[in-house]
Formats: sequence, structure tokens, C-alpha cells
Amino acid sequence: MELLIFYPIAALAVVLALFVVFNKSPIGSAVSLIGLMLCLAGVFIGLSAHFVAILQVIIYAGAIMVLFMFVIMLLNLKDDDNVIWKSREGNTLLTVLTGFLVLGILYKIISITLSADSSKPAKIMESFGTTAEVGKSLFTTYVLPFEVASILLLVAMVGALVLAKTKID
Amino acid sequence: MAPLSHYLVLSGILFTIGVMGVLVRRNAIVVFMSIEIMLNAVNISLIAFDRYLGQHDGQIFSFMVMAVAAAEVSVGLAIVIAMFRNKPTINLDEFNLMKW
Amino acid sequence: MRNDPNMSEYFFIAVFAVVALVVVAGILILSAVLGPKNPSPQKTVPYECGIIPTEEAKGRYPVRFATIAMLFIIFDIEVVFMYPWAVALDQLGFFGLIEMFLFIFILGIAYVYIWGRGGLEWD
Repeated sequence: MELLIFYPIAALAVVLALFVVFNKSPIGSAVSLIGLMLCLAGVFIGLSAHFVAILQVIIYAGAIMVLFMFVIMLLNLKDDDNVIWKSREGNTLLTVLTGFLVLGILYKIISITLSADSSKPAKIMESFGTTAEVGKSLFTTYVLPFEVASILLLVAMVGALVLAKTKID
Repeated sequence: MAPLSHYLVLSGILFTIGVMGVLVRRNAIVVFMSIEIMLNAVNISLIAFDRYLGQHDGQIFSFMVMAVAAAEVSVGLAIVIAMFRNKPTINLDEFNLMKW
Repeated sequence: MRNDPNMSEYFFIAVFAVVALVVVAGILILSAVLGPKNPSPQKTVPYECGIIPTEEAKGRYPVRFATIAMLFIIFDIEVVFMYPWAVALDQLGFFGLIEMFLFIFILGIAYVYIWGRGGLEWD
């Protein structure tokens, strides 16, 4: 039953990720990425991480992709030129080697993962992954990362404003 | 819960697609989106392990990953706009001023 | 999955998503199959009544929108950090109140900076 739900969502996620990379128009990539985020929210629900699934929709699909859309429309990008699949000059050998390296890494990941024994997931309580449970953990064990995150957000806000408001003459 | 290995394989495939996008594309915004795919692939494996072990730590980690991703996107896209102001393109091959 | 009470709530979302997909795809397919098609150059211009458009419809958006969206994302994350805090506050007690005050204080510094720098002004 779970596999029946997991496989379509996972297949859709992989297809949408390929669309993001292969699409010629940046808007098409962004729309595919929104779909990918929603699929991943579905995957998280299957893992009973309810709070993170909602965060995925709020933060990624709701905020980050909006900014991507605004920037794409601000820059008014034309569709990519048709040279995206041509390797850079003098880099053909490097490109082929990198491709094999990536495939080798993927093969290694899959072979190690499939050979491991992962048949016994832990028993979880009813309230696993709810907002209250995650909140309790976040605000007791992980207080310091939480406060450091606020400094990260402060720096990001100041940095974004300085970069966006500075006029380059 | 589907077997843990399925989630890890999904995570590996998505991460590889993200790496491929970063290496292959020259449009700065699409490279950014590929980085987002990689961050999300890591989130999947964090949450899958989390569910497998029955703890909440991985969800906190993925929450932090999302916060870092949001900060990174807002600064990164500001940088992309600044790049575009300097030179009206976002093709990454054109920005080779600091190349040796 | 049916025996898990948490999961049965998502059944309605799944039904909603499937219905939305079927309706959209159905309308697009039906209009493509049933609709009459005889295109002509006159029909593809933006204003059918004869005004000739002077510029492309795909204009550039002003940079103000992107700046506001950047600041919105950060404040969105700040609010998202408050959801689990608000739900778990009765178990956290006074300590939870203090840590959220510290969090909001640090982000308040950023807010004051943005206000002083003029990041919230539209022009």
C-alpha cells in the first residue's frame, strides 16, 4: 500500500527534477521545481513528518519559488541559446570524465544502500512528526542552533538589502 | 513506511540530477535551482533516517537546511541581479574576470 | 496506511489534487479535441479590434518586487520558526518565552536596519 503511493510520487519527482535541468526556458524550470517541491512534501508525509511536509510547502513552494519567479521576470530572460549541450572549448575529455564520475557515485550510493539491512524501522508514537513534538525538540535540545539561525537570517537580510540597493555606476 | 533503501535511492538520484545541473547548465538561475534540488535530496535522506530511527533530530536538521536555503536564495539572487547589472547576461561562462 | 489516523486526513487532499488534475486536463483535452480550429494572422494579434501593439507584452518587472520578495522570505522563515514555538509553549514555560524574545530581538535589529536604510520604501 505504501509502495503504491511512494512509487508514483518518487517517479514524478525524478521526472520533474530532470525537467528542471533540461528545460530551455527558466520559467519552465521554475514551474517544474515547484512541482518537485510538492512531490517531496508528499514523500515527507509518507514518512509521517507532517510538520516538515507543511514547511516544505510554505517555505519552498510558497516563498523561495516566488522569489525565483520574480527574479526570472525581472531579468526577462530569453530561452537559453541552443549551445547548452556543447562542452566548453578544450573541455570535452573533462566533461566525459565528470559524467562517468557522477554515474559512478550514483552506482556506489545505490549499491551500498540496497545491500544494507534496513528492514526494521522503529516503532513510532501517534504524535511523531507533529508540530508540537518537533517544537519541543527544537526549543530544548536545539536551542543554540535556533538562536544562531536568527543571526544567520540577520546577516542574510542585511546582505540582500545591501546588494539590492547599491547602485553600481 | 516504504523500505528505507527506497528513500535513500530516491535521494541519491535527485542529488545526482542536481550535481548534473550545476555542472552542465550555464544559466545562473538554473544552477541555483539545481542547488535547491541537492538540498532537498539531502532533506529526504535526513527525514527517512529520522523516521527509521524514530527520532526528531533529522527533522530539526532539515528545518535548519530550509532556513539556510532561504537565506542563501535571498542573498544569491541579489548577487545574480547585481551580476546582471554589471553585464546584461547571466551566462556563467561570461563571468571570467577572476579566472587565472 | 488506513489504520493510521494521522494519514486518513490526507485522503481528502489526495482526492482534491486528483479532481483538480482531472478537471484541468479534461478541459484542455476537450477543448483541443472538440473546438473548431481555423487560425488566421488577424486572430493572433493581441488586440483584435485593430490597434497595433507598440511593445512586447513580456516587459521587465521593476527591481522593487524582487527586493520586497527577498525580505519577505526572511520574515517568512522567522514566522515559520514561531509555529512550533506557539504550539509547544505550554511545555516550554518561561525559558521558551526568553529564547523567543532573544530571537525576535536579533531579527528586530535587522528590521531597524532595513527601515533606516529605506528597504521598505517603494520608490
